[in-house]
Amino acid sequence: MSATTVTQNKRRRTGRRQWAPYVFISPFFVLFTVFMVVPIGAGVYLSLTEWAGLGTPDFIGFDNYARLFQDPSFGTSLLNTAFYTVFALAVVLPASLLIAQALNARGLKLRDLFRLVYFMPVVLSPIIIALIFGLIFDGEYGLFNAVLEALFGFGGISWLTDPLWARIVVVILVLWRWTGFLTMFFLAGLQNIPRELHEAAEVDGAGPVRRFFSVTLPQLGPVTAFIAVTMLVNTAQIFEEPFLLTQGGPGESTISVSMFIYRAGFQRLELGYAAAAGVVMFLIVFALGRLSISAFGVGRNR
Amino acid sequence: MNAATATTDAPSTAPERRKRSSSGGRVLLYATLVLLALVYIAPLVWALSSSFKERSEIFAFPPKLWPDPVTIENYANLLAEQPFWRWMLMSTVVALLSTTAVVFFCSLAGFGFAKYEFRGKRLLFDVMFSSLAIPLAVILVPLFILVAKLGLAHPLFALIVPWVAPAFGIFMMRQYTEQAIPDELLHAARIDGCSEFRIFWSIVLPLLRPAIGALGVWSFLTTYNNLLWPLVIVSEPEYYTVPLGLQALFGAEGRQYDLVMAGSILAAIPAIAVFILLRKQLVSGLTTGAVKL
Repeated sequence: MSATTVTQNKRRRTGRRQWAPYVFISPFFVLFTVFMVVPIGAGVYLSLTEWAGLGTPDFIGFDNYARLFQDPSFGTSLLNTAFYTVFALAVVLPASLLIAQALNARGLKLRDLFRLVYFMPVVLSPIIIALIFGLIFDGEYGLFNAVLEALFGFGGISWLTDPLWARIVVVILVLWRWTGFLTMFFLAGLQNIPRELHEAAEVDGAGPVRRFFSVTLPQLGPVTAFIAVTMLVNTAQIFEEPFLLTQGGPGESTISVSMFIYRAGFQRLELGYAAAAGVVMFLIVFALGRLSISAFGVGRNR
Repeated sequence: MNAATATTDAPSTAPERRKRSSSGGRVLLYATLVLLALVYIAPLVWALSSSFKERSEIFAFPPKLWPDPVTIENYANLLAEQPFWRWMLMSTVVALLSTTAVVFFCSLAGFGFAKYEFRGKRLLFDVMFSSLAIPLAVILVPLFILVAKLGLAHPLFALIVPWVAPAFGIFMMRQYTEQAIPDELLHAARIDGCSEFRIFWSIVLPLLRPAIGALGVWSFLTTYNNLLWPLVIVSEPEYYTVPLGLQALFGAEGRQYDLVMAGSILAAIPAIAVFILLRKQLVSGLTTGAVKL
């Protein structure tokens, strides 16, 4: 092989090396453009129209938005979604941390078994979960009322037909379904903390509570940020839990924003109206998501 | 390498007296964990038990823990009246196809982001990561129209193609690739004249096996159990997946608890089996990226 072909080969190879990463990441960007950017653009246009799916959409300006902000159902769905999300961050998250802390106890036996059991709901279809919770919390025949009756002598709560209790059951379902999943992340984070840090603090006379606040929590920063962002974005689009458990009822008292959009678009065929709700949801969730991603510095490791 | 797999207990270096003084705490600890485990197990036992009850017994009050009489008629009725195995086949095919594609595209993109320097990398990564914050419901209506117009409406295609390069998977694979693949290995391969794709396929991919296992299980389970997108895009009953078929029995056709219960149990068996077999890989793979941000 002559010297020139070697350098040519070399140049060709560095050339390849320059465009190779673009090729490698391109499938994501192609799909992202076709199935996310274009739909969002189309959604913005649709939101300015009235359309039932046939013929041409009628351009109606901002009427859908005006209607949206006067629609009490939309208000309810926003409030409910906010409630579910705040609950996920304020209750599910700390609960997972406590369980992870317990599972991380030195010399704990059966840790793997506990972990397996707590993680189980993540594996199951939301259908079976909603079905069981529907049975357990049934106001007349439910297991939970029977247990309350046996233990405390009252069991007449209409869990799923009372607007307030129905919301509580939805968040209990969220708690049951997601705590184990988050626990795994916290446990991995805890196991990643160097033992020396705890021992040093112990030598300095810090008790368990003090060590938790001054060693454990700061060390868990990154994993907490990751979980918080994931949970925020996921709960903001909650659909399955209320849809399967209560169909958004009684009345509309447990409806979420995702359900509102699904109902408007696919059950009532008001595609323009559904798109407008989608645009509002996008603005809120994307802004919150982006804000928290940059606030916590998630996704950057250098 | 993976923090979460390191569950074996290192010999305790704490003073012995501390251990003795906390034995009351130990009892409390185990009691709490066992109680919690019961809270997790009880609904599943309840579902299993109910699936063997006669239809009228499912709602008996006070509830009976054990079915009396034990009957398999719910299972028999489901399999006789509904094309359950067809739903299972559809779910499994969709889940396997999309998992294969997800694993490939996410590893490839994760490798691209982890091991190359290129113009615009930071911006492109930020765009990719931000797409995690786009809710499905936002694009639901326009995407539905788009897929129908593009002629992607064949359910197999529409169920799989839009979701084969999820940002979550790419992020996870990037985190893993960064720490698991030494740069020297890539240099050596380049000196030997390997093409970049060849490096990925024959050198990088085999080393990513633990993370691929985790992403694969995760992708399989989420696709297998997915409800919202199939609900929107699949209208013909012959293409129903299990969640869609059960949803139809549960929702529109009145609450057929007996059949849905039996169907859910049957559908849960493969998911639970996959999970139990591969749980360590799943948990460690999922959490690696999150722990070291």
